Amino acid sequence: MLRFAVRRLAAGLFLLFVVSFVSFVLLSVPNLDVARQLLGQSAPQHAVDAKTAELGLDQPILARYAQWLGDALAGDLGTSWFTSENVLTAIGHRLPVTLSLMLGVTLVTAVLAFLLGVWAGVRRGAVDRIVQVLGVVGYALPGFLVTLVIVLVFAVQLRWFPAIGYIPLTTSVPGWLSTVTLPILSLSVAAVAGVSQQVRSSVIDVLRQDYVRTLRARGLPPGRVLFRHVLRNAAAPALTVLGMQFVGLLGGAVLVEQIFGLPGIGSMTVTYTTRGDTPVIMGLVMTTVVCVVVINLGVDLLVGWLNPKARAA
Amino acid sequence: MSEALTSDNHLPAGAAAPRRAKPVRRFLRNPQAVISALVLGVVGGAVLLAPLLSTDPGAAELSKAFAGAEPGHPLGFDSAGRDVWSRLLHGGRNTLGGALIALAVALSIGVPSGLVAGYYGKWFDAVANWAGNFVMALPAMVVLLASRAILGPTMWVLMVVLGVLVAPSFFRLVRGIVATVRGELYVDAARVSGLRDRRIIARHVLIVVRAPIIIQIALVAGIAISLQAGLEFLGIGSGDLPTWGAMLNEAFQNVQRSPLFMLWPGLALGITSAALVLLASALRDVLEDGGTPPPRPRAARRARVSAPTTSDSAGARAALLSVRDLAVSYGSGASAVDVVRGVDIDVAEGEVVGLVGQSGSGKSQTAFSVLGILPEGGRVSRGSILIAGTEVVGLPEKRYRALRGGVVAYVPQEPMTNLDPAFTVGGQLVEPMRLRLGLSRKAAAERALELLRQVEIADPRRVFDAYPHEISGGMAQRVLIAGAMSCDPKLLIADEPTTALDVTVQAEVLELLRRLQAERGLGVLLVTHDLGVVADLCDRVAVMNAGRIVETGRTAQVLTRPQDPYTRTLIEAVLDDAPARPAWVAPRAADGAEVPA
Amino acid sequence: MRIRRFPTAGSAGVVAAALVLAGCAGAGGGAAGQSDPTLDIATMTFPQSLDPVTAIGGALPFFQAAYDSLVKREPDGAYSPMLATGWTWDTDRTKLSLTLRDDVRFDDGTPFDAAAVKANLERFKASSGANAKWLSGLERVEVIDATRVVLHLDAPDPAYLYYLSDAAGLMANPAAFADAERLKTTPDGTGPYELDAAQTVVGTKWVYRRADDYWGERLPFDGVTMTVFDNETAIVNGLKTGQIDTAVVQDANQQASLEGATTLTTTPVDFDYQGILLFDRAGVVTPELADVRVRQALNHAIDRKTMLEQIRRGKGAVTSQVFGADTVAYDESLDSYYAHDPEKAKQLLAEAGHADGFELKMPRMTSIVSDAIAASLQSDLADVGITLTWVDVDQGDALRRIFQDREFSGFVMNNGQPATDWLAIKDLVLPGTFNVFGYTDETVRSLVPKIQAAQAEDALDELRALNRHLVEDAWFVPFYRMTYALVTDGGVTALPQSGMAVPSLYNYQPTG
Repeated sequence: MLRFAVRRLAAGLFLLFVVSFVSFVLLSVPNLDVARQLLGQSAPQHAVDAKTAELGLDQPILARYAQWLGDALAGDLGTSWFTSENVLTAIGHRLPVTLSLMLGVTLVTAVLAFLLGVWAGVRRGAVDRIVQVLGVVGYALPGFLVTLVIVLVFAVQLRWFPAIGYIPLTTSVPGWLSTVTLPILSLSVAAVAGVSQQVRSSVIDVLRQDYVRTLRARGLPPGRVLFRHVLRNAAAPALTVLGMQFVGLLGGAVLVEQIFGLPGIGSMTVTYTTRGDTPVIMGLVMTTVVCVVVINLGVDLLVGWLNPKARAA
Repeated sequence: MSEALTSDNHLPAGAAAPRRAKPVRRFLRNPQAVISALVLGVVGGAVLLAPLLSTDPGAAELSKAFAGAEPGHPLGFDSAGRDVWSRLLHGGRNTLGGALIALAVALSIGVPSGLVAGYYGKWFDAVANWAGNFVMALPAMVVLLASRAILGPTMWVLMVVLGVLVAPSFFRLVRGIVATVRGELYVDAARVSGLRDRRIIARHVLIVVRAPIIIQIALVAGIAISLQAGLEFLGIGSGDLPTWGAMLNEAFQNVQRSPLFMLWPGLALGITSAALVLLASALRDVLEDGGTPPPRPRAARRARVSAPTTSDSAGARAALLSVRDLAVSYGSGASAVDVVRGVDIDVAEGEVVGLVGQSGSGKSQTAFSVLGILPEGGRVSRGSILIAGTEVVGLPEKRYRALRGGVVAYVPQEPMTNLDPAFTVGGQLVEPMRLRLGLSRKAAAERALELLRQVEIADPRRVFDAYPHEISGGMAQRVLIAGAMSCDPKLLIADEPTTALDVTVQAEVLELLRRLQAERGLGVLLVTHDLGVVADLCDRVAVMNAGRIVETGRTAQVLTRPQDPYTRTLIEAVLDDAPARPAWVAPRAADGAEVPA
Repeated sequence: MRIRRFPTAGSAGVVAAALVLAGCAGAGGGAAGQSDPTLDIATMTFPQSLDPVTAIGGALPFFQAAYDSLVKREPDGAYSPMLATGWTWDTDRTKLSLTLRDDVRFDDGTPFDAAAVKANLERFKASSGANAKWLSGLERVEVIDATRVVLHLDAPDPAYLYYLSDAAGLMANPAAFADAERLKTTPDGTGPYELDAAQTVVGTKWVYRRADDYWGERLPFDGVTMTVFDNETAIVNGLKTGQIDTAVVQDANQQASLEGATTLTTTPVDFDYQGILLFDRAGVVTPELADVRVRQALNHAIDRKTMLEQIRRGKGAVTSQVFGADTVAYDESLDSYYAHDPEKAKQLLAEAGHADGFELKMPRMTSIVSDAIAASLQSDLADVGITLTWVDVDQGDALRRIFQDREFSGFVMNNGQPATDWLAIKDLVLPGTFNVFGYTDETVRSLVPKIQAAQAEDALDELRALNRHLVEDAWFVPFYRMTYALVTDGGVTALPQSGMAVPSLYNYQPTG
């Protein structure tokens, strides 16, 4: 198990390196004229050229990458071209916001999706139909419609929750809870819809397995068969989906972050990428890859724990 | 993927086979599939015919912005005074076209690479797997912006890139399934018989991955459509090109002014993705389940079986197991089909009764109905089953459960799929004993080890701690027999206990069964297609064909002087050294119609 | 003004439990135990850094908190003393003498004096900041004594006091210049507030608290928080729930959604206008544009009224001139100079020999050119035979292609209307900046020197004449001035700032 983890981490490091290089090259492709964006439309050309040189953008791409890599290895990811903030600090401020959402959504999804999925998969019939319909509706509703309605109802009309902003967990736990509840709710609708269908189908799959029939034939009570054997076997594919969902939220919560005015990774990625703020984007890319590697590793270890056969493979 | 692998197992041959119908027919009989396909068809048709059904989507008349419906403009005008109806149709063209492109790209990259990686493994697998991770780790925004800069800011380019970004999901899916399938028996057999790899992939492997891929296609199409909308929202969209995403985005900009704007593109997107999801789940049912209809609610099921009918054909009933006029049905109402009809069987204490017949004759269904573990959708619709004097038809589940394991036990056909892969062998043996016999953990473990020894396992300790995938098939069957014995049953239902095993192991397991039966005085109902096994083991034998018992009698008598023509063909087939399991011919239901799904 | 309105006890429901607690703790950075309220401003503009050389337009309040400027600009645009107590021009208007306060010190004790002014101005001029060009005519800064300094210019510049009341006038501690990186995130000025680095999240939220012993007029808020959002939906929701005290809302639909909110006060702000910034008057890219009749045809082809009604929901005023209502050159009658008249446009095109029309290519940045603008311009121009082709570009890409590659004849943009005539002329009329191809003509050449050499008020005739000429000669295709909404909640009042989209930091007052 340990060797498996170490090997995966090493592969992850290599991945980190390659992704950083490819991203760096890709970033230099769109000629975003950062200098002129910084100086404004009315800046004279000589000033633009001077600024370009100041940012090192007149250097060849490989030299710039080598420079960046050297600094990064020394733990310095540079400062943003557009806001002068230290990249590490900036990400450090924003990552907790996104992680809060990710953890919250994953938790809500795990609990609700498993309950609904198991319920539907075991009972089938009308319950199953209802859960399926809910799943389809949740999946098909445009995300921002859901988010807008949630803001309007729970924040603007009822005033139960703040409409915007984020209070760090370290500042105030109830404050944090109040600022992340609605965003998590908004994101969970589609996530629960998707994952519950996955759980349902896994449960149905497992219920049809021969060993379930054999267990029943041994006289084990259905509840025990379900919770001990079916759930454990059905959890692995659902966990994989949940893991992918988690990774997807890293950059996928843009809309929710924007509407709730949350300073998270998602909206940061979009705005800084469209501007071409290379140091920040590279920092974000690195963060994302690390998260992806860690989450995938975690999911694999968990699946391996649940399913000994996967461990051997 | 396990679904694909076990689709033949979860309904044993006897049950699954008669209800198989062609996928197309099953599709047509599945209302969900038909309706969602129809909806998609209507959407696709409307979108394809957009130029005929509507005007130029770009024509703007600003003075009409936000105006309501008027003749020729059924849905009114958008914020730029453009006809919403025509933008909806033309937008659908672009959105769905874009999704198709993304799909095509993803499929053409993901499926072949997944096949090759899964089938050959080795370095290509390692490389492809890493590449998949790489693509998934790439920052999508950066990639999209860069490709826009290189290839131009059109939606089509974005959708191609999106296809590449989604390809790993197909790759992983296909690779996973193929890698498992590769080790399967029938692929091995194909390989041994000298088929070329390409033919094996085409004939055996592709069929297995077909269903999951089709389902994934429907899901990814839905995702591609919504991603397309998402890209618009992030401002890296299609520019002038009307798309549903662009319409939604425009509606979002004007949501304060005219919330209704969201409705049309939202509906179009919602209905299309909902139809895709529903189609996917229906396809899954059609392709993978063999179209098992969902079971009726419990109450109804119970009501149906509550009245056992005692047939006058009964005669004296055996003390241990006595089945009279048993009928097993699938489906409900007019479409209900009896797969077993009018079956009478008796097993006395210490007696071994063989139940023989071809695949699909209903023998396994009979066995399952005795145990009360019919697959979902199946039910005992008529007849009486007495186990040790207790009528189990209509018996409350809780009291029925008390009989299972303790009075009647089960040895299944396929050893490897009948052990829970997530638990150790020991864990699975100990659990029923603790529950049924109330033993302590320690006592149960000791007893489990003793049982393993009794089923002639050389190293019980090792097997006790092993996971099912770590032991051989013969070993697994011994474990299952030990499990069946664990609570001292009186009646053993053995469903083709040796079919899946090697010839040498078969003999050993039969010998073991014989010994245990003799030692414990068990009554055994042995379900098999193998007349050799019957001759070897059974006191009496019942021959089944097409859901009915055609002949019953002492083993020697039936085998040497068969009365029924069907029994005769069975015996002749063995004598002629023909394949033990002849090609299966679809049996006909009583009325002559093919058995529906 | 931080007044949390949510959640009150009794806002029942299962969910309420956590929130009641949140309400108690939620007022983070509140004013517990302090006498003065704090101010929460929301904005979509943020500073690139807090080094004054990088200050631009809408981000000025971020700097005003930490720095003082030499000259203060009042809400109506009038100049009043701040760090400079007085100023005089010589007769040539090339020497500007300033007298300075003698009682101001930076935090580390460095005195604010003439040397500091000289250091700041020279640094600003030499910097690569966006507005460094303002001081390009500054020959030298002469220090007379600690409180007197003379700015020597190579040519008269009527906008100089504006510069000194804006980015160029922000005075930073010369001792901080040694470490320019530090200054970017750690402002070092004499201003009324200090940046609270612990609370500040650069890029998202800047928190200032009152500086001890501020030399000048005490501002009425103990602290100011400026939060940056990337969309107005969040801002409007924040205003509605009372989480934000004030913001300028640009989008007409968002403005409309605020109309029902009784607790909020709305003040109109007129600053930006929208139009086609046409600079290919010599016909370099689109030869047809060299003919004045073609440019006039463009102006007549466009249905400004309908655009204003439909796109801005009437929030604004149609105009044919680029000068704003606060300038001297502004002539109300010119607002309606070009009526929507497709027939006349066609006739003008025919006279110019383009009866069959021609193709005009313009870049489209979706952030500025909405679907409605794009489609309506296209159809308005198509009506007179001109084919408008939109080229989709991203923001950064667009700037390069417009200004560096000079690929286009013009583009649609939202442009601020400075209250200072000379600034507008420099940006729009003189070669450079928005006059990408350096086009000029006889009238402009003869009027500009007179305007440059006088205070705007003294060059009224020339300015009006220039304005009329630019309109008649169809240098531009302006659509309308846009009215933004300066929204404040019940606790705050704010005055719009002439010549700026957002109010100066000095313009906010608590109510009552």
